[in-house]
Amino acid sequence: MSLSDKTVPSQTEAIAFRIELRHPPEKVWRALTDPDLLAQWLLPTTGFALEPGGAFTLQAPPQPGWDGTVNCRLVEIEPLRKLRYTWVVGDIETVVTFTLAPTESGTALSVVQSGFKPDQKQNFGGARYGWKMMGGRLIDLLARSA
Amino acid sequence: MQTASSAENRIFQALADPSRRAIFESLTRGEAAVKDLKAQFDISQPAISQHLAALKDAGLVNNRREGRLVYYRVEPRGLKPLIDWITHYRAFWTEHIGRLEKLLETMDE
Repeated sequence: MSLSDKTVPSQTEAIAFRIELRHPPEKVWRALTDPDLLAQWLLPTTGFALEPGGAFTLQAPPQPGWDGTVNCRLVEIEPLRKLRYTWVVGDIETVVTFTLAPTESGTALSVVQSGFKPDQKQNFGGARYGWKMMGGRLIDLLARSA
Repeated sequence: MQTASSAENRIFQALADPSRRAIFESLTRGEAAVKDLKAQFDISQPAISQHLAALKDAGLVNNRREGRLVYYRVEPRGLKPLIDWITHYRAFWTEHIGRLEKLLETMDE
Protein backbone atom coordinates (compact mmCIF):
# COMPACT_ATOMS: atom_id res chain seq x y z
CA MET A 1 0.00 0.00 0.00
CA SER A 2 1.24 3.43 -0.71
CA LEU A 3 0.10 6.81 0.44
CA SER A 4 0.86 9.57 -1.96
CA ASP A 5 0.33 13.22 -1.22
CA LYS A 6 -1.01 14.61 -4.44
CA THR A 7 -0.78 18.17 -3.30
CA VAL A 8 2.18 18.94 -5.50
CA PRO A 9 2.27 22.25 -7.35
CA SER A 10 0.79 20.79 -10.51
CA GLN A 11 -2.37 19.79 -8.64
CA THR A 12 -5.26 22.17 -8.41
CA GLU A 13 -6.86 20.91 -5.22
CA ALA A 14 -5.24 22.21 -2.08
CA ILE A 15 -5.60 19.00 -0.09
CA ALA A 16 -5.87 15.80 -2.11
CA PHE A 17 -4.67 12.28 -1.47
CA ARG A 18 -4.92 9.15 -3.57
CA ILE A 19 -4.29 5.84 -1.87
CA GLU A 20 -4.10 2.36 -3.39
CA LEU A 21 -5.62 -0.10 -0.93
CA ARG A 22 -5.44 -3.89 -1.08
CA HIS A 23 -8.98 -4.19 0.20
CA PRO A 24 -12.29 -4.37 -1.70
CA PRO A 25 -14.49 -1.24 -1.93
CA GLU A 26 -17.12 -2.90 0.29
CA LYS A 27 -14.66 -3.07 3.16
CA VAL A 28 -13.30 0.44 2.63
CA TRP A 29 -16.85 1.79 2.45
CA ARG A 30 -17.59 0.15 5.79
CA ALA A 31 -14.60 1.88 7.37
CA LEU A 32 -15.86 5.21 6.02
CA THR A 33 -19.46 4.81 7.14
CA ASP A 34 -19.53 2.74 10.35
CA PRO A 35 -19.42 5.01 13.43
CA ASP A 36 -17.43 2.48 15.47
CA LEU A 37 -14.85 2.14 12.70
CA LEU A 38 -14.77 5.92 12.08
CA ALA A 39 -13.89 6.41 15.73
CA GLN A 40 -10.93 4.07 15.25
CA TRP A 41 -9.26 5.86 12.34
CA LEU A 42 -10.78 9.33 12.00
CA LEU A 43 -12.52 10.79 15.04
CA PRO A 44 -15.37 9.79 17.38
CA THR A 45 -18.76 10.66 15.86
CA THR A 46 -22.08 11.71 17.31
CA GLY A 47 -25.32 11.33 15.36
CA PHE A 48 -23.80 9.73 12.27
CA ALA A 49 -26.50 8.16 10.08
CA LEU A 50 -25.96 7.34 6.43
CA GLU A 51 -28.70 9.47 4.92
CA PRO A 52 -28.53 12.55 2.67
CA GLY A 53 -28.57 15.78 4.68
CA GLY A 54 -27.77 13.89 7.88
CA ALA A 55 -25.94 16.07 10.38
CA PHE A 56 -23.30 14.69 12.70
CA THR A 57 -20.29 15.86 14.65
CA LEU A 58 -16.73 14.67 14.91
CA GLN A 59 -14.93 15.20 18.17
CA ALA A 60 -11.26 16.17 18.06
CA PRO A 61 -9.20 16.85 21.17
CA PRO A 62 -10.15 20.29 22.52
CA GLN A 63 -7.64 23.11 22.09
CA PRO A 64 -7.48 26.59 23.58
CA GLY A 65 -10.22 28.59 21.88
CA TRP A 66 -11.83 25.56 20.24
CA ASP A 67 -13.83 22.77 21.87
CA GLY A 68 -12.69 20.29 19.21
CA THR A 69 -16.09 19.89 17.54
CA VAL A 70 -16.25 19.48 13.76
CA ASN A 71 -19.80 20.00 12.46
CA CYS A 72 -20.62 17.87 9.45
CA ARG A 73 -23.53 17.30 7.09
CA LEU A 74 -23.73 14.54 4.49
CA VAL A 75 -24.24 16.06 1.07
CA GLU A 76 -23.58 13.13 -1.25
CA ILE A 77 -23.86 9.38 -0.72
CA GLU A 78 -23.19 7.00 -3.57
CA PRO A 79 -22.78 3.60 -1.92
CA LEU A 80 -19.36 2.01 -2.52
CA ARG A 81 -18.34 4.95 -4.74
CA LYS A 82 -18.60 8.36 -3.15
CA LEU A 83 -19.14 10.01 0.22
CA ARG A 84 -19.09 13.75 0.67
CA TYR A 85 -19.74 15.83 3.75
CA THR A 86 -19.24 19.37 4.91
CA TRP A 87 -16.56 19.96 7.51
CA VAL A 88 -17.20 23.07 9.57
CA VAL A 89 -14.85 24.31 12.27
CA GLY A 90 -15.85 27.68 13.67
CA ASP A 91 -16.44 29.99 10.72
CA ILE A 92 -14.33 27.94 8.31
CA GLU A 93 -16.48 25.80 6.08
CA THR A 94 -14.99 23.14 3.86
CA VAL A 95 -16.14 19.92 2.23
CA VAL A 96 -14.48 16.51 2.37
CA THR A 97 -14.98 14.04 -0.47
CA PHE A 98 -14.05 10.36 -0.43
CA THR A 99 -14.12 8.61 -3.81
CA LEU A 100 -13.68 4.86 -4.20
CA ALA A 101 -12.86 3.05 -7.43
CA PRO A 102 -12.38 -0.71 -7.70
CA THR A 103 -8.97 -1.81 -8.96
CA GLU A 104 -7.51 -5.25 -9.78
CA SER A 105 -5.88 -5.41 -6.38
CA GLY A 106 -8.48 -3.62 -4.28
CA THR A 107 -9.59 0.00 -4.14
CA ALA A 108 -8.25 3.34 -5.25
CA LEU A 109 -9.36 5.80 -2.59
CA SER A 110 -9.18 9.53 -3.07
CA VAL A 111 -9.62 12.02 -0.25
CA VAL A 112 -10.08 15.69 -1.08
CA GLN A 113 -10.76 18.59 1.25
CA SER A 114 -11.67 21.86 -0.34
CA GLY A 115 -13.36 25.11 0.48
CA PHE A 116 -16.71 26.13 -0.87
CA LYS A 117 -18.74 29.23 -1.17
CA PRO A 118 -20.65 29.78 2.09
CA ASP A 119 -23.75 31.15 0.37
CA GLN A 120 -24.13 27.93 -1.62
CA LYS A 121 -25.09 26.13 1.56
CA GLN A 122 -28.68 25.86 0.40
CA ASN A 123 -27.72 24.40 -2.94
CA PHE A 124 -25.53 21.42 -2.22
CA GLY A 125 -26.89 19.24 -4.98
CA GLY A 126 -26.00 21.37 -7.93
CA ALA A 127 -23.42 23.64 -6.44
CA ARG A 128 -19.88 23.42 -7.58
CA TYR A 129 -17.70 23.75 -4.58
CA GLY A 130 -15.14 25.00 -6.99
CA TRP A 131 -12.81 26.63 -4.59
CA LYS A 132 -9.44 25.50 -5.78
CA MET A 133 -5.96 26.53 -5.17
CA MET A 134 -4.39 27.95 -8.26
CA GLY A 135 -1.81 25.24 -8.40
CA GLY A 136 1.35 25.90 -6.53
CA ARG A 137 1.46 29.50 -7.63
CA LEU A 138 0.24 30.81 -4.29
CA ILE A 139 2.83 28.85 -2.41
CA ASP A 140 5.51 29.99 -4.87
CA LEU A 141 4.46 33.55 -4.24
CA LEU A 142 4.72 33.15 -0.51
CA ALA A 143 8.17 31.62 -0.90
CA ARG A 144 9.29 34.48 -3.13
CA SER A 145 8.09 37.09 -0.67
CA ALA A 146 10.21 35.71 2.15
CA MET B 1 -7.12 21.19 13.20
CA GLN B 2 -7.05 24.68 14.37
CA THR B 3 -9.07 27.34 16.02
CA ALA B 4 -11.59 29.20 13.94
CA SER B 5 -10.10 32.35 12.58
CA SER B 6 -11.79 35.04 10.59
CA ALA B 7 -8.54 35.75 8.71
CA GLU B 8 -8.75 32.32 7.09
CA ASN B 9 -12.45 32.64 6.53
CA ARG B 10 -12.03 36.01 4.80
CA ILE B 11 -9.46 34.46 2.47
CA PHE B 12 -11.75 31.51 1.75
CA GLN B 13 -14.66 33.78 1.02
CA ALA B 14 -12.59 36.12 -1.13
CA LEU B 15 -11.28 33.24 -3.23
CA ALA B 16 -14.61 31.41 -3.38
CA ASP B 17 -15.86 33.75 -6.09
CA PRO B 18 -14.65 32.69 -9.57
CA SER B 19 -14.30 36.29 -10.84
CA ARG B 20 -12.29 37.35 -7.82
CA ARG B 21 -10.16 34.24 -8.17
CA ALA B 22 -9.49 35.12 -11.80
CA ILE B 23 -8.59 38.71 -10.91
CA PHE B 24 -6.30 37.55 -8.13
CA GLU B 25 -4.68 35.01 -10.42
CA SER B 26 -4.12 37.69 -13.01
CA LEU B 27 -2.45 39.91 -10.40
CA THR B 28 -0.06 37.10 -9.53
CA ARG B 29 1.42 37.70 -12.98
CA GLY B 30 2.12 41.33 -12.16
CA GLU B 31 0.79 44.65 -10.98
CA ALA B 32 -2.21 46.08 -12.83
CA ALA B 33 -4.50 49.09 -12.78
CA VAL B 34 -8.29 48.72 -12.77
CA LYS B 35 -8.46 49.65 -16.45
CA ASP B 36 -5.97 46.88 -17.32
CA LEU B 37 -8.16 44.38 -15.53
CA LYS B 38 -11.28 45.74 -17.21
CA ALA B 39 -9.66 45.17 -20.59
CA GLN B 40 -8.86 41.63 -19.59
CA PHE B 41 -12.18 40.57 -18.07
CA ASP B 42 -15.72 41.01 -19.24
CA ILE B 43 -16.74 42.73 -16.01
CA SER B 44 -17.77 46.32 -15.34
CA GLN B 45 -15.32 48.69 -13.69
CA PRO B 46 -17.41 49.05 -10.50
CA ALA B 47 -17.59 45.26 -10.22
CA ILE B 48 -13.84 44.98 -10.60
CA SER B 49 -13.34 47.65 -7.94
CA GLN B 50 -15.66 45.75 -5.64
CA HIS B 51 -13.74 42.51 -6.17
CA LEU B 52 -10.45 44.32 -5.52
CA ALA B 53 -11.87 45.79 -2.31
CA ALA B 54 -12.85 42.29 -1.13
CA LEU B 55 -9.39 40.95 -1.98
CA LYS B 56 -7.79 43.88 -0.14
CA ASP B 57 -10.06 43.34 2.87
CA ALA B 58 -8.89 39.72 2.97
CA GLY B 59 -5.30 40.96 2.93
CA LEU B 60 -4.63 39.33 -0.42
CA VAL B 61 -3.83 42.45 -2.46
CA ASN B 62 -2.38 45.87 -1.88
CA ASN B 63 -2.55 49.05 -3.91
CA ARG B 64 -0.62 52.21 -4.65
CA ARG B 65 -1.69 55.43 -6.30
CA GLU B 66 0.26 56.91 -9.20
CA GLY B 67 -1.27 60.08 -10.55
CA ARG B 68 -4.88 59.32 -11.41
CA LEU B 69 -4.38 55.60 -11.49
CA VAL B 70 -4.45 53.04 -8.68
CA TYR B 71 -2.29 49.99 -9.22
CA TYR B 72 -3.02 46.68 -7.51
CA ARG B 73 -0.56 43.95 -6.70
CA VAL B 74 -0.62 40.66 -4.80
CA GLU B 75 0.30 40.77 -1.14
CA PRO B 76 2.09 37.42 -0.78
CA ARG B 77 2.15 37.45 3.02
CA GLY B 78 -1.64 37.66 2.92
CA LEU B 79 -1.74 33.99 1.96
CA LYS B 80 0.08 32.78 5.02
CA PRO B 81 -3.04 31.92 7.11
CA LEU B 82 -4.33 29.88 4.18
CA ILE B 83 -1.01 28.11 3.62
CA ASP B 84 -0.83 27.32 7.35
CA TRP B 85 -4.36 25.96 7.25
CA ILE B 86 -3.54 23.75 4.26
CA THR B 87 -0.32 22.54 5.88
CA HIS B 88 -2.24 21.63 8.99
CA TYR B 89 -4.87 19.59 7.15
CA ARG B 90 -2.34 17.83 4.94
CA ALA B 91 -0.67 16.57 8.11
CA PHE B 92 -4.06 15.69 9.62
CA TRP B 93 -5.13 13.57 6.66
CA THR B 94 -1.71 11.95 6.26
CA GLU B 95 -1.89 10.77 9.86
CA HIS B 96 -5.51 9.63 9.77
CA ILE B 97 -5.28 7.89 6.39
CA GLY B 98 -2.35 5.98 7.88
CA ARG B 99 -4.65 4.88 10.69
CA LEU B 100 -7.31 3.85 8.15
CA GLU B 101 -4.78 1.62 6.37
CA LYS B 102 -3.86 -0.06 9.66
CA LEU B 103 -7.52 -0.50 10.59
CA LEU B 104 -8.35 -2.16 7.26
CA GLU B 105 -5.71 -4.81 8.01
CA THR B 106 -7.51 -5.77 11.20
CA MET B 107 -11.09 -5.74 9.85
CA ASP B 108 -12.99 -8.85 8.76
CA GLU B 109 -13.45 -9.13 5.01
